[in-house]
Amino acid sequence: MKKFVSRREILGLIAKAGASGAVLQASNALGIVPDSYVDIPKIPPADPSNRPSVVVLGAGVAGLTAALELKKAGYSVVVLEAAGRAGGRNMTVRHGDLIDEVGNPQICDFDDEPHMYFNAGPARIPSSHRNVLHYCKELGVELEFFINENKETYIQDDAMLDGKPIKNREFTTNARGFMAEIMAKNFTNAELDQPFDQWEVEALMRALRRIGDLDEDMLYKGSIRGGYSHGGFLEHGHALEAVALRDLLKTDLFSMALGQNEGETGPMLFQPVGGMDQIIKGFLRKLPDEVFYNVMVTSVMLQNDGIEVVYEHKGIKYKIEADYCFNSIPTHLMTGIDNNFSADYKEAMAYPRRGEAYKSAFQAKERFWEKDDIFGGISWTNQPIEQIWYPPHGMYKEKGIILSAYNYGGGMHFTQLTQEERIETAIRQGEKVHPNYRNLVEKGITIAWHRMNHMLGCSARWQKSRSGFTQEEERLFQTLRQPAGNRHYTIGDQITKHTAWQESAILSAHWAINDMLTRKSGGAMPGQRV
Amino acid sequence: MRNTRLLFAVALTASIAGLSSFNAYAQQYAAVDTTNQPLSNEVCATCHGGEGQGNPVVGGPSLAGLEPWYLRKQLENFRAGIRGSQKDYIPGNEMQASVARLSDAEIDDLVNTIAGWKVIENDHTIKGDLSNGEALYANCAACHGADGEGNEALGAPGLVERNDWYMFRQIKLFKSGYRGVHPDDTAGKLMRPSAQALKSDQDVNDVLAYINSLDR
Ligand SMILES: Cc1cc2nc3c(=O)[nH]c(=O)nc-3n(C[C@H](O)[C@H](O)[C@H](O)COP(=O)(O)OP(=O)(O)OC[C@H]3O[C@@H](n4cnc5c(N)ncnc54)[C@H](O)[C@@H]3O)c2cc1C
Ligand code: HEC
Ligand code: HEC
Repeated sequence: MKKFVSRREILGLIAKAGASGAVLQASNALGIVPDSYVDIPKIPPADPSNRPSVVVLGAGVAGLTAALELKKAGYSVVVLEAAGRAGGRNMTVRHGDLIDEVGNPQICDFDDEPHMYFNAGPARIPSSHRNVLHYCKELGVELEFFINENKETYIQDDAMLDGKPIKNREFTTNARGFMAEIMAKNFTNAELDQPFDQWEVEALMRALRRIGDLDEDMLYKGSIRGGYSHGGFLEHGHALEAVALRDLLKTDLFSMALGQNEGETGPMLFQPVGGMDQIIKGFLRKLPDEVFYNVMVTSVMLQNDGIEVVYEHKGIKYKIEADYCFNSIPTHLMTGIDNNFSADYKEAMAYPRRGEAYKSAFQAKERFWEKDDIFGGISWTNQPIEQIWYPPHGMYKEKGIILSAYNYGGGMHFTQLTQEERIETAIRQGEKVHPNYRNLVEKGITIAWHRMNHMLGCSARWQKSRSGFTQEEERLFQTLRQPAGNRHYTIGDQITKHTAWQESAILSAHWAINDMLTRKSGGAMPGQRV
Repeated sequence: MRNTRLLFAVALTASIAGLSSFNAYAQQYAAVDTTNQPLSNEVCATCHGGEGQGNPVVGGPSLAGLEPWYLRKQLENFRAGIRGSQKDYIPGNEMQASVARLSDAEIDDLVNTIAGWKVIENDHTIKGDLSNGEALYANCAACHGADGEGNEALGAPGLVERNDWYMFRQIKLFKSGYRGVHPDDTAGKLMRPSAQALKSDQDVNDVLAYINSLDR
């Protein structure tokens, strides 16, 4: 039997949550933008006749940041990258590019035009990520706005409204209207024990009326904000009929429909003009001779006065010696690379789990979304594809690249399919949002980050529980953050408390450089204590 | 302070054989026309570690030291889906996907290359009761040899210098029917009853501790 909850009970629930400030703070700590500031390490210029040497492992955002800053200070820098390209997870896919997924390599066949690209890894830069923006400026990377939330996109759930997609604006307007009505009714209730005075209640009522577009009686009866059924300009506009709250509650996508402008995607968002890898290209312009490709590190050995790295290139092994090593190789791959680190350090390297992430994209034969008033933004669905992203750039051009699936933290389901099955699945699920989808898209590409060569993951997973780091996890994290033998630094977003953002990758490199400088000036002894 | 010697890298070993076979592996990409693509050619090492020494976190075992006949058999088994194709066994899936498109010639090349990899001492991660292990191992010796040296005629690989965490998992896979059940897996079916005879995890640990003691 269904249990009905009265309005008073709902209010009780709200009040209970409100009473517990600690709960609110906890959720802030989880979902909200962390503090970031720009404080580029001030590295004393190296003596040109005796330049310290640094070998950087991995040419992703973290490795390139370390290489650039150290080079600017006159250090001798070499970057070793296992893949045939720089960027690591920062990867933009265009015509002719290889997607080096183990067991499912693909060559992208999109039309060869500047706006026809797909950001297979990072795609958004929040305005609060000031260090990413700092480097964009320093490296001459042109930025444009990225549109994350767009109320003209769709919410689709097989359990809601017979699976019919509904415009986000319609969903949001109805959901907000009913929520405002529920709140308004309870606040006029005399049982409230007068926690608010009359003036405060009136102020709140005015606000609720506006938030929910309630009528004089504080009831929600539909709103033109949800869209017109007909008319609107030359004729009177008629609001779409209200959708019952009960219908909207059938989907779990509530927070997706209403909450996209919050947390990390709340601030203004940007993207580099022409693809996220413009950032990488910017770094490489300043590091024209330092980066070596197709060189796979196979051994990292601490020595008394430095570090020795062995790598393989075209079947031949080479050895490099340097004073310092900045290593961004994912820890779950480092555990397969010969080393002489301490048992503690090895234990810490082995702890973070590999994350999963899956994305796919199509070339659209025409920009069909624009005919549906959609310019940028995300449609949400309860199907495994989860999201459809419309490009915020290339407006009114003939074609465009549309993201056809995005599951961050999952996607194994897709990984187990053949390429053909993955494409067909994306089409079948996309058809529920855009009826004619099948005939509008072509040339699909797919990326399972947990299967990408030299990566095998999307971002390090330190926490086993959502409630934060355990003491043990904190200990392992701190162990890995400290340099091994004062010579070897693990860097990358993997050694931050906010993985899966380029900002974190940059800050990890800054942290390591600053730590190195502190130890140097503090006269710390090189090598391992025995 | 040490001077920069970075750009004067020293060639250590020139395993030219390795070069050709890895390139052969890379040719599987030819199916999607990768002309002029910079191919990364160390795909096995991504999961199995530099020089195939094994990576416990990814789950790829050490390959260095595997008998060529056994290695070939396993690559063929994975390719044919005889091993690793159950959808709910992720490590097996990953390995299966990695070799699903290999040609016979590429398998030949890989077997030759891996034969050249040097065995690196494995860390022993399992503790157990050696005397119980030795008693249990008496059953294994019939096929895997008294010193764990293996027996090609029976299709039983050597068990020395192998990752104990990997062997632990394989025994569990044999027990639970993820390995050694496919109709075409004659060798696996030979092994399965012995795994089932190990009643507890402790027994498995004990016998592996004993097998570890045969190393080096
Ligand atoms: C799907 C997805 C979406 C994302 N979205 C965003 C976003 O919108 N905004 C944002 O800011 N961030 C986003 N991120 C996160 C961002 O991509 C990463 O935080 C950042 O790129 C990590 O940089 P890194 O240098 O730490 O590591 P990586 O880029 O992973 O670099 C590691 C490098 O090491 C190399 N390597 C591996 N093995 C070896 C070896 N043996 N020898 C030599 N080199 C080796 C690899 O090839 C790689 O180049 C996203 C990530 C993913 C996967
Ligand atoms: C994506 C990761 C991955 C890649 C790439 C990969 N492997 Fe594996 N491999 C594994 C895993 C995981 C296992 C263990 C499977 C299991 O538990 O049954 C394995 C098992 C094996 C085995 C069985 C070993 C034994 O003792 O039975 C062989 C042989 C092997 N791999 C060879 C290779 C070769 C050769 C390559 C390169 C062509 C390769 N692998 C590429 C992950 C990988
Ligand atoms: C009747 C012969 C036989 C007996 C007895 C036997 N094995 Fe095996 N074992 C095999 C064969 C054959 C294989 C190879 C299976 C294959 O090709 O997939 C194998 C495979 C294995 C493997 C997997 C090796 C790898 O690289 O993946 C392990 C581990 C193993 N055996 C351990 C044992 C232990 C421990 C015992 C004793 C408790 C035992 N075996 C008894 C025949 C036997």
